[in-house]
Amino acid sequence: MPNERPWLTVLLWVVLSIATLFPIYWLFVISVKPAVELFSTPSLFLDTIYWKNYVKVIGDDTLRRYMMNSIIISSGNAVLVTVLAFMACYALSRYDLAGKENIFFWTITNRMAPAAVFLLPFFLLFTQVFAIGDWKLYDTRIGMILLYCTFNLPFAIWTLRPTIDGIPKELDEAATVDGATTWQVITEVIFPLARPGLAVTLILTWVFAWNEFLLAATLTSFNARTITTGLSEYVTTTGTEWGTMASISIITLIPALIIFSVVQRHIVAGLTFGAVKE
Amino acid sequence: MAEVTVRKVEKRYGNVPVIHGVDVDIADGEFVVLVGPSGCGKSTLLRMIAGLEAISGGTVSIGGRVVNEIPPKDRDIAMVFQSYALYPHKTVAENMGFSLKIKGRPKAEIEAKVKRAADILDLGKLLGRYPRQLSGGQRQRVAMGRAIVRDPQVFLFDEPLSNLDAKLRVAMRVEIKELHQRLGTTIVYVTHDQIEAMTMADKIVVMKDGRVEQVGKPLDLYDNPGNVFVAGFIGSPAMNFIKGKIDTRDGQQIFVSNSGSVLPLAGARAQPGQPVIYGIRPEHIDIGPGGLPARVSVLEPTGSETQVFAKLGEDSIDAIVKDRLTVRPGEDLMLRIDPRHAHIFDAKTSARV
Repeated sequence: MPNERPWLTVLLWVVLSIATLFPIYWLFVISVKPAVELFSTPSLFLDTIYWKNYVKVIGDDTLRRYMMNSIIISSGNAVLVTVLAFMACYALSRYDLAGKENIFFWTITNRMAPAAVFLLPFFLLFTQVFAIGDWKLYDTRIGMILLYCTFNLPFAIWTLRPTIDGIPKELDEAATVDGATTWQVITEVIFPLARPGLAVTLILTWVFAWNEFLLAATLTSFNARTITTGLSEYVTTTGTEWGTMASISIITLIPALIIFSVVQRHIVAGLTFGAVKE
Repeated sequence: MAEVTVRKVEKRYGNVPVIHGVDVDIADGEFVVLVGPSGCGKSTLLRMIAGLEAISGGTVSIGGRVVNEIPPKDRDIAMVFQSYALYPHKTVAENMGFSLKIKGRPKAEIEAKVKRAADILDLGKLLGRYPRQLSGGQRQRVAMGRAIVRDPQVFLFDEPLSNLDAKLRVAMRVEIKELHQRLGTTIVYVTHDQIEAMTMADKIVVMKDGRVEQVGKPLDLYDNPGNVFVAGFIGSPAMNFIKGKIDTRDGQQIFVSNSGSVLPLAGARAQPGQPVIYGIRPEHIDIGPGGLPARVSVLEPTGSETQVFAKLGEDSIDAIVKDRLTVRPGEDLMLRIDPRHAHIFDAKTSARV
């Protein structure tokens, strides 16, 4: 049916876009104003641009380390979780595992309690149990990657299962008869068709790790500290450096936008159309 | 090419047996159709030959080699699925060449074999398309092309035409038969459609409830069905069955139905008084003087012939005649039964007498 009032649709999208993007615009405005101006003449409009907040942030070695930690931990976790969830979902979908529906259900139970509940056990594990000599899992990137797996993996398995279940089993059988090994079935048939689900899983798990604050603040101190926890260092007893925090936040958006734009291209519907006659 | 031998093959899901010690011999180059109603175990048997289902008992041999423990990829078979099962992210050419690609064959060889199969199936112009861009018939041909490219010892077809419309099904039936004549490869073909079985097979295996009911050439099964099930399954429209017993009149054996109708016989081997089932195909009944009076219930003219549904006393009977009839439902006509084509089955065992 043709749209009889296209201007209404356009208006709706403009309003929604403004509502969505306004906080980011406001953040940007704060990031390019000196502290004095922020509180003396608060305004949403830009007369001049003050880049010194950005110069300060980019020139700070510690902040650069935090940013790199965040990128490595989030990306490492997202890739590891997505690969493990993909394998788990393939097994749950294709094999007659004893009690597999119970396994599937119980994986999600650690998302049923607030993350804070797990803080103390994790702290003890990271400082007392997973320690070899002087080396501890505490304040390491690998520690944070594994930690986020605990929360992201169940979520990823639940997100990805319908995608794998939705790929007709006849395709596995056809590939098997065509001479493919199980590994070739997974890489040549299942993986390409699961791309949209994998992309969604990758983005959501990446965002969780990128934004996570509580666990990172507790289980890191300097070496593996992430940018979200780094932000909190600008809230001090003598005041809050709003301009610096805003500029860090804007910089923090850039890797996220890059990840989204790269991965989003794989989120397309109807990949399995034409595979089997329903 | 190779022969396929199925010996006392059983299939159980837990404690539930679904195939009960089936024996089937398929000669090299033979076109064998496994036919039967839904749930008879024909697809399960085919999947056991393919290696997609584990065998609970007995042996399956391909080319003289027992393949029970051999994975599908090493059985040198190709299978065409009911649902086509094309790889949706691959083009027609990639679908057809997939088996050779994963074998690591050279690109030139893959292209040549795909082209040869595409020529056979008239798919040359579609090689760059994706499955979603094809019609049902084209997808089915691609699925066959994928099988041809492998040049296997045995082709397995699992109800490949079930999802096609009636016209296309007839066309594809001819194509598959031509393909067999051209390639000469052993084919095991599963269908629930007895017309497909009759028109395509060198040999038909009729199955019911996980057992083989009868094996034979299509016309042998049509002319000499071994029991009531095969008699009713093979032939369209289905054979008429009337319950009654054998009697003797004027020194001649006759059949008397439970409702008292007397039908002619030509040398049945039943004993007088024995409860039997009288079978006669609709095409072996015609209309004319000297027949048995029957009341017309429904007429179904199709142009080339007319199917008559009628009542012979209390018994329902239908006939196929070439004539265009002017009789109306509720009126009587005379049905002439050709006794040479009458089949007599034991009422207790259902076996042919």
